[in-house]
Amino acid sequence: MEPITLLLVLVCIIIGGLLSSLAVHLMPVGGAPAAMSTATGIATGCVMLMTGAAVTGLFTASTVASFWATKPSVILVALSGAVGSMLMMGFTMFVANLIYIFGAGIVPCSGRVAVDPITKESQTEYKTPRTDGHGVPTASFVSGILGGFSGGFGGALIYVMLVSDSYAHFSVATAGIVAMGIFIANAIIAAYNIGGTIEGFHDPKFKARIRTGLTCSLIVSALCGVIVVIAMLTGTLVGGVM
Amino acid sequence: MPVISLFAWMLVIAFLAFIACMFEDLESDIGSQSNPNSQIQLAPEMGYIHRYFNKAISGEGLSYALSCTISGTIAMLILLQFESVGPKAAILAIPVGAAVGSLVHMVRSSTCHVGREAAHKRFEQPIYLDVFYGHLLPIATHNFMAVICITAIAYIQCNLGILSGVTGASNPFPLPLLCLIWGLTVGAIGSSTGDIHYGTERAFQDKPFGEGRRVVYHGQICRYGDCGVRTSKDVASFCAKFGGPATGLAFGLIVLFENWRTVIGMLLGGLSIEGLANPAVAATWGIGIGVVIAIVLVILARTLEKWARNKYGPFVGE
Repeated sequence: MEPITLLLVLVCIIIGGLLSSLAVHLMPVGGAPAAMSTATGIATGCVMLMTGAAVTGLFTASTVASFWATKPSVILVALSGAVGSMLMMGFTMFVANLIYIFGAGIVPCSGRVAVDPITKESQTEYKTPRTDGHGVPTASFVSGILGGFSGGFGGALIYVMLVSDSYAHFSVATAGIVAMGIFIANAIIAAYNIGGTIEGFHDPKFKARIRTGLTCSLIVSALCGVIVVIAMLTGTLVGGVM
Repeated sequence: MPVISLFAWMLVIAFLAFIACMFEDLESDIGSQSNPNSQIQLAPEMGYIHRYFNKAISGEGLSYALSCTISGTIAMLILLQFESVGPKAAILAIPVGAAVGSLVHMVRSSTCHVGREAAHKRFEQPIYLDVFYGHLLPIATHNFMAVICITAIAYIQCNLGILSGVTGASNPFPLPLLCLIWGLTVGAIGSSTGDIHYGTERAFQDKPFGEGRRVVYHGQICRYGDCGVRTSKDVASFCAKFGGPATGLAFGLIVLFENWRTVIGMLLGGLSIEGLANPAVAATWGIGIGVVIAIVLVILARTLEKWARNKYGPFVGE
């Protein structure tokens, strides 16, 4: 196998991993408190939400990659995955807001910033005292959409590099599982870094922690990439074990 | 005609997705799984002895990924055994797979509930045996409905090329992997959206409507129903009126638009019975349509937020 091919696979896995980590930091995750409208964001954990979004993107990416008999277009497959995750996030956040507004009579508002950076509307007077905000305000919604795009692109990029016969040439199922594994490893590291809830790019936590998160992701992704490269060199997974 | 058939199958998948996610959310409400479980877990510590079912096997996504993957694996084994019968074997394979998946889920629910409630002995929370026995069947049946729909979706997507007559329409992933993917997604969506109706509204129905649940209220769950003491079964009947169907709508819309934009892209890329003429054009159109849908969603979300701010106004109270 050409050294340049191995290097390309390694670099793309690292880029995919970094994008996945960035995506988790962009997610408006409220965790369990958001289910009680005690925190702004989506009512679930970072890993759960991001994995759900990424596998939706992975599904579309796998369909689009199968359009080509050989040598799928890396950029188009990765973008298809990105858009898939973006839509998953979009619909989830929209329906969550429907339930907040019509099911519980709650106005979405941020608890971390006084003014929404996109709409420039004040948030403080809409917030229930002794809560950390509630619902998914516009800034968090846009951040979630961007996070979905970034995560979906990262996951699908790893997948297409692994499945393409020009690069790793793993079987479809093996490539899917390996891509999911690398993605989840990055998502868990990012979730530890966030440590609780985050509202999106406007949250002060984002600026404070993104550098650490990306550094850790770089190390994890490089390690995963090296393992994939070893598998490629030894031919362990080529053609697939499944 | 085959292309019309492709669209028809796409609608069947979207409908199944709606049913799957609705039942997934209601099942998690009956078992108090996922996020609102923190309140059921906290209640005895706050002196609120309750009759809710208390299981938090894991996050909903992982729990459903396991159930659906078990179902998909069993279904695939049966399909391979009855390969000579043809597609008719699916009539047996899918329900049997789903039944095994939901039985395993029921076993995990049992151990989880008893273990958690036993740990609450120090707060004088009893293990009510009628609560334990009475909730297992609703949990298993709701789980079965969700898992059978997911397995059916995975089966259709695996064999879409044969079912619709369009070459290359099938998804390349094997049946268990598709079950894993949709199990993860259905759990993630059920956890993200449906839990709000239970956690914010039903679990705290005796607290003021229209405000976020303050931290001081945490653990002080509503324990009485319209008649007598409330159990988790009463939660399902309430959430089935809004939270459950809304959650189903979220997953149904995701599956519908994901497939719709891909199929429209394929049509514009020159789809025929023989397959795709121009894959790059098909992929580009799919991406373009997806981006437009996302922009529309952002506009809709902003409009909804604006409406809520004008209609409800700023927070009033202490």
